Amino acid sequence: MSQKPEPRGATRQSLSSSSSTTKTRLSTSFHFASYLRDHQKTLLESFIRLLHDPLASMMTMMVIAIALSLPGGLYVGLKNVHSITNQWDKQSIISLYLFANVEDTKALSLSHQLSSRSDIVNVMYVSKEEGMRYFEKSNGYEEILSALPENPLPIVLQVIPSYEVTIETLPNLESLRDELAGVQEVEYAELDAQWLHRLASLLSFGERFVYALSLLLICAVLLIVGNTIRMAVESRRDEVLVMKLVGATDGFIRRPFLYMGFWFGILGGILACTTILLVSWWVSTPAERIIALYQSDFTLQSFNADEVVLCLTMSAFVGVIGAWIAVNRHISDIELQ
Amino acid sequence: MEIEFQRVGKKYETGQEALSQVSFHLQQGEMAFLTGHSGAGKSTLLKLIMMIERQSHGEIIIDGEDLRALHKKYIPYHRRKVGVVFQNHQLLFDRSVFHNVALPLQVSGADPQHIGKRVRAALDKVGLLGKEKYNPMALSGGEQQRIGIARAVVNKPQLLLADEPTGNLDPRLSTEIMNLFQEFNRVGVTVLVASHDLSLIARMHHRVLTLNQGRIVNDGGFS
Repeated sequence: MSQKPEPRGATRQSLSSSSSTTKTRLSTSFHFASYLRDHQKTLLESFIRLLHDPLASMMTMMVIAIALSLPGGLYVGLKNVHSITNQWDKQSIISLYLFANVEDTKALSLSHQLSSRSDIVNVMYVSKEEGMRYFEKSNGYEEILSALPENPLPIVLQVIPSYEVTIETLPNLESLRDELAGVQEVEYAELDAQWLHRLASLLSFGERFVYALSLLLICAVLLIVGNTIRMAVESRRDEVLVMKLVGATDGFIRRPFLYMGFWFGILGGILACTTILLVSWWVSTPAERIIALYQSDFTLQSFNADEVVLCLTMSAFVGVIGAWIAVNRHISDIELQ
Repeated sequence: MEIEFQRVGKKYETGQEALSQVSFHLQQGEMAFLTGHSGAGKSTLLKLIMMIERQSHGEIIIDGEDLRALHKKYIPYHRRKVGVVFQNHQLLFDRSVFHNVALPLQVSGADPQHIGKRVRAALDKVGLLGKEKYNPMALSGGEQQRIGIARAVVNKPQLLLADEPTGNLDPRLSTEIMNLFQEFNRVGVTVLVASHDLSLIARMHHRVLTLNQGRIVNDGGFS
């Protein structure tokens, strides 16, 4: 392609092929203005075209909305579970069981040493006797303990870390536990956060489930938009042919269909967001009543402004991509013969 | 706009050889007829100029540009320089006469303020000024053909092609249409009309290229 690109509008600017530099520059700025104007016009026209067949357009949008509100709704559910767990009791304890041969003085100095660390708030010293007394209070242990020749319990240091216990700080807590387990006097260190561990795994499973579902349903939206656009291209076959004949670029021909995809996407997204907001408003009262039985001040969270914007951007984007795929496939099928 | 064919051949994928060794040169501002039996290659020749088809052999030089070297993405810009009229009009019946004629201008991104003027000027030339708001379906065959011509010239092309433009018209209307082409030619537009209406061609006194089985068998005045 050694040919110079013919600027759009050059034929209009000059009847002869001797277009001067000024003319080229003029036509370039002219071209850009007309390009923008054309986009504006096409945006509007493609919206009006949707209204020509309101029932069919509405059905396509509803399908998109349903496909998008499913993962959106699950996402909102997951977000609430997250926020509930973050409001739970934030205390956690690492219990250090010392070796039986560690003496009281040694254990006490270790306790002081630990409590001076910045990542530890407090260390509670539980002597062998205190441990014994604790067990004696529990039902059923008295007889067993009295039968023992000597106190078998070790000294226990109960460490309260300065981290708040959340799913996010769990790795920090675990590394602190591992570090403390390495201390010479410590036989065994136990982090009292198994429940949190299980919850974290459950939530990460939930998250992945939502991601996978979102991906599948986004593919479904691509197919829905693609199919609708394919039919639109087919119904405007004659127009596409004539436009090719009078010198329309592929971009020009593609444009109204891409905007159509955009409208399907964004209107479907608006419907999906509305559905999610309405449903979460509808379930909020009973849900809050249930949660209030376990803890105070809980308000059900729905989509916030950022998430609405993200959802709409994504749905518009998916709409355009779906249209792009369909248009590219089908416009090249329509050839002047 | 000049057209130059040098030993051009076109073989379709089906193996059918539509054109072979076609050479001719049409000067800037010249008017010529392309004639021959149906299937002689008239339409194929016009399609090559429009780049609807691409040649298998030889060189086609239009306005100094070798079409073989023209990349696919520049085809639309090439087509904007050529006005074309078809026997079956290729009009869109979902819009008015005005919007049919305006299409080439919209496609090339013309200023909407100019579109109105240019469309009316083109409709005026073909004598349909009062009918811009009509649907083409409501007009007669001859009028529909004139809409097609208005659309072909609205962009002020330097080359006008017509493929059997009078195919469905009675002799009086046909003469009118041909006279229109002649008028455009008079203001400097190069015109190439494919037609098998020999009696009409004879009356026009222009150069005639005769095709037979894909070859030019006669090039000259009508004999």
